[in-house]
Amino acid sequence: MIQVKNLSFTYPGSTQPVLQALNFEISEGEIFGFLGPSGAGKSTTQKILYKILHNFSGEVFIQDKPLDQWGKAYFERIGVGFELPNHYLKLSGKENLELFSSFYKKERLLKIPDLFEMVGLQDSMNKKVEAYSKGMKMRLNFIRAIMNNPDILFFDEPTAGLDPVNGHKIKEHIVDLKNQGKTIFITTHDMATADEICDRVSFIVDGRLRVTETPSTLKHQHGENKVSVESKDGKSAEFSLENLGKNLQFLEFIQENQLLRINTMEATLEQVFIQVTGKTLKV
Amino acid sequence: MADFKLIFRDPSLRVFLLLPALIFVVINVFLPYLIDKYEAVNEYVPYVLIVATIENTQMFGFIYSMVLIEEKETEVARVYGVLPVSKIWFVLFRLMIPFLITVSLTWAILLLQPFYDLSVFLTLLFSILSGLIVPVYCLGISTLSANKMSGMVWIKIFNILVVLPVIAFFVPDSFSHLFGMLPTHWAFQGLNNVIEGEAFFFNAFIAFIYFLILTTFTVRKFASVHFT
Ligand SMILES: Nc1ncnc2c1ncn2[C@@H]1O[C@H](COP(=O)(O)OP(=O)(O)O)[C@@H](O)[C@H]1O
Ligand SMILES: [Mg+2]
Repeated sequence: MIQVKNLSFTYPGSTQPVLQALNFEISEGEIFGFLGPSGAGKSTTQKILYKILHNFSGEVFIQDKPLDQWGKAYFERIGVGFELPNHYLKLSGKENLELFSSFYKKERLLKIPDLFEMVGLQDSMNKKVEAYSKGMKMRLNFIRAIMNNPDILFFDEPTAGLDPVNGHKIKEHIVDLKNQGKTIFITTHDMATADEICDRVSFIVDGRLRVTETPSTLKHQHGENKVSVESKDGKSAEFSLENLGKNLQFLEFIQENQLLRINTMEATLEQVFIQVTGKTLKV
Repeated sequence: MADFKLIFRDPSLRVFLLLPALIFVVINVFLPYLIDKYEAVNEYVPYVLIVATIENTQMFGFIYSMVLIEEKETEVARVYGVLPVSKIWFVLFRLMIPFLITVSLTWAILLLQPFYDLSVFLTLLFSILSGLIVPVYCLGISTLSANKMSGMVWIKIFNILVVLPVIAFFVPDSFSHLFGMLPTHWAFQGLNNVIEGEAFFFNAFIAFIYFLILTTFTVRKFASVHFT
């Protein structure tokens, strides 16, 4: 669906490139994530893909067609969830959506009250956005991004600034969208978000991609090939997964102790990130 | 139409909608009263009319500059950047309404003033000319301003620039042409021609071409920065 080859970008008036030779592909119907600390170049990459920034070097193809050959029709097919809430504060949530929806072809537009209901904003639909909390504004961002029922969605930090409950709901909605066959590109500096919903992630640091893989593969590759076993009275031990069923010490441990837990010693995505990039995700 | 909701819901913008009424009162009530008292004022009536019509363009010039700067500051402008709409047409279409209202109001001011019996057609032409200030003005200001603070500074500067050529009427001819660098100079001379019953089209033509070039330039510049 989306192919990016050797993408580099320097902001006008700056000498330092912010993106350096990025290569990645996003398949139809997948959730692809950029995971990286703030300032890494995640938003910049998305802005290039949704055509707010121009004059990049390298190649970008959307459905095998070069990005610069896509005209107005491109914007019918994409939806953009901006990083920060951006609405007319003097208009109500509903008036905001009505205004922007008037630019799309009618056929594919979703019903505005349904959208508000979907994110639990139905009671605030007619309130001015200046009275919304940050979390409510972000939910309004989210439904504005999907109101034209696009095939490709860009979400820039979709869970940032949301409380855990609403963050969880947004993640569920994003997975729902994927299940409807949509192609989704998210950016995040939140390890858990990337781990929970992304089919594949790229680690991005200082404008370069370090690795692109499924989260589970990454955690396996960088974890230890072991289980850790813990008993209720506080004893613990580690055993290699290799021939575990024939490992007498392991068998003895689980026979003789009341077990509290057995874990495979997978790395967390955050540990993998630190191992691969030498950086933390702390912002 | 959403623009008008934004304007009416912002007290600091709403109050500017009263500007034409104020101008109307000055021209039709205050100025005749002054002339009644001081004969000498009569001589200045053409210049007062010229300044009045220009100030009339400042209403939407100011209001739309503020709307556009606010839109840029709050990054709402970016949303338009990802909508299926041609940015240039969107800008032109959006400024059409303030342009048309400004033209109508300027025309009304000129037709209803009590001093001269001016041609309906020529005053309309002049009103269209001076209305062209509005898009150039607010697109120029919002392109130059990162925020409302710098916007206010640019508005002051532009405000002076548009009325400055009125000085051309009070200086020797050789100096007056210097003001030709400012597009409103040609419009001013044009309106003065209309009032004096002289040939209007030469100055009007230059003003028109000048504004057309400026409009093309500011629309393109604006469209390339506003939505990013
Ligand atoms: N408009 C801009 N002009 C110049 N530099 C910018 C601009 N926007 C972002 N940058 C710089 O580009 C880098 C990447 O920014 P960004 O893509 O926003 O990172 P992220 O989204 O990963 O936090 C940062 O160093 C940032 O300072
Ligand atoms: Mg960002």
